[in-house]
Amino acid sequence: MSIVLYRVDERLIHGQVVIGWGHQLRPDRYIVVDDELSASEWEQDLYRLGSGDVDVLFSTADEARDRLPEWQASKLRSILLTRETSTMRRLAEGRLMDGEHVNLGGLRHGPGRAEVLTYLHLNDDDVRDLEAMAAAGVDVTARDLPDAHKVSLETLSKSRWKSSS
Amino acid sequence: MRRALTRSAVASAFMRSFLIQGSWNYHTMLGSGFAFSMLPALKSLYGSEPDAMDAAVQRHLEHFNAHPYLAGVALGAALKLEAEGADPELVRRFKLAVRGPLGSLGDGLVWAAWLPGASVLALALYWMGLPGWWAAAVFLVVYNVGHIGLRFWGFRVGLSEGQLVGRRLERANLARWTERLKGGVALLVGLLVGALLAGDGGLAASGVLWTVLAACAFLAGLIIGHRAWRPAAVTVVAAITILAAVGALG
Repeated sequence: MSIVLYRVDERLIHGQVVIGWGHQLRPDRYIVVDDELSASEWEQDLYRLGSGDVDVLFSTADEARDRLPEWQASKLRSILLTRETSTMRRLAEGRLMDGEHVNLGGLRHGPGRAEVLTYLHLNDDDVRDLEAMAAAGVDVTARDLPDAHKVSLETLSKSRWKSSS
Repeated sequence: MRRALTRSAVASAFMRSFLIQGSWNYHTMLGSGFAFSMLPALKSLYGSEPDAMDAAVQRHLEHFNAHPYLAGVALGAALKLEAEGADPELVRRFKLAVRGPLGSLGDGLVWAAWLPGASVLALALYWMGLPGWWAAAVFLVVYNVGHIGLRFWGFRVGLSEGQLVGRRLERANLARWTERLKGGVALLVGLLVGALLAGDGGLAASGVLWTVLAACAFLAGLIIGHRAWRPAAVTVVAAITILAAVGALG
């Protein structure tokens, strides 16, 4: 398997990903899946600045669904990033990511989001997306950095229920 | 029709940017400092429209983070966008996209290369016999010429390029400058430590034990060093090893 990390992180390519995960996983490229960004060249220029020498590929969600098997089989090691849980859910639909792990790394902003972990805020839609991924065979956990404690989806749902009630 | 940015509002934003961390907090980080820096410019643009002014201040109070010396890139670009009457959503997306690279480029260039570089330079001058307070003065001057120069360059580049500043930063290739600086600093550290070890009171008279220890350190550097910063680690440890060996044999 050659997508070495699937991560939901609204900051996309930034220090935690490049230094924290990148130094350990040694990716050959970052794949950013986002419909808006893949149509915006100036934003791509900015995100590319943060990746060091590693290539960055931008893709729409539809294109990513077509190319996912190719990326999974490729010799190139990729870190796949999305800003939103909904984009990752679209990739996982139809069991395209059966048996894969999705890492939740950072969400703060967004309507109705409540703090679940210091780096993770979720709203009802996010939780539905995550549950849909789990139902499609994906192992969903939260962990900001490779050395940090891994938090399971069950624990996340429980603490969200507590913080929003 | 909106008024243009005045020179004094631009100058004031730059001067205020030195205080951009002045109300740093975990919630918005540089957010309030950013809004504080934008305030005179926002007043000159929206002063006659209270609602637009409120909205503008609020959007710049939001969470923002970057290296403090390079935050001026975002500040300059935000000034340009506001003066052009850009869509607030564009301003928001620009600030979201630019904070990551400005953080990592600045951390690498300033905290990992320029600050240790200027410090080691001052230490080397002290070792060469410069009085201590002179060495400290050299450090302060050298460090701050780079520091203020970087702030000024970043602010100007942001102001002239707006949201397209990514291309300009790519051309400036700050990452390559960072690597060069780190290489130079590593060499300087290696020479300084080597010279100290080989000199009076160093390893000159200590014999084989130290050479063996140095060789072990070199091997450890080779094995563990790649996790951090390999070329630099190897340069430092190799210089120490060679000079320790020379010292022991000589």
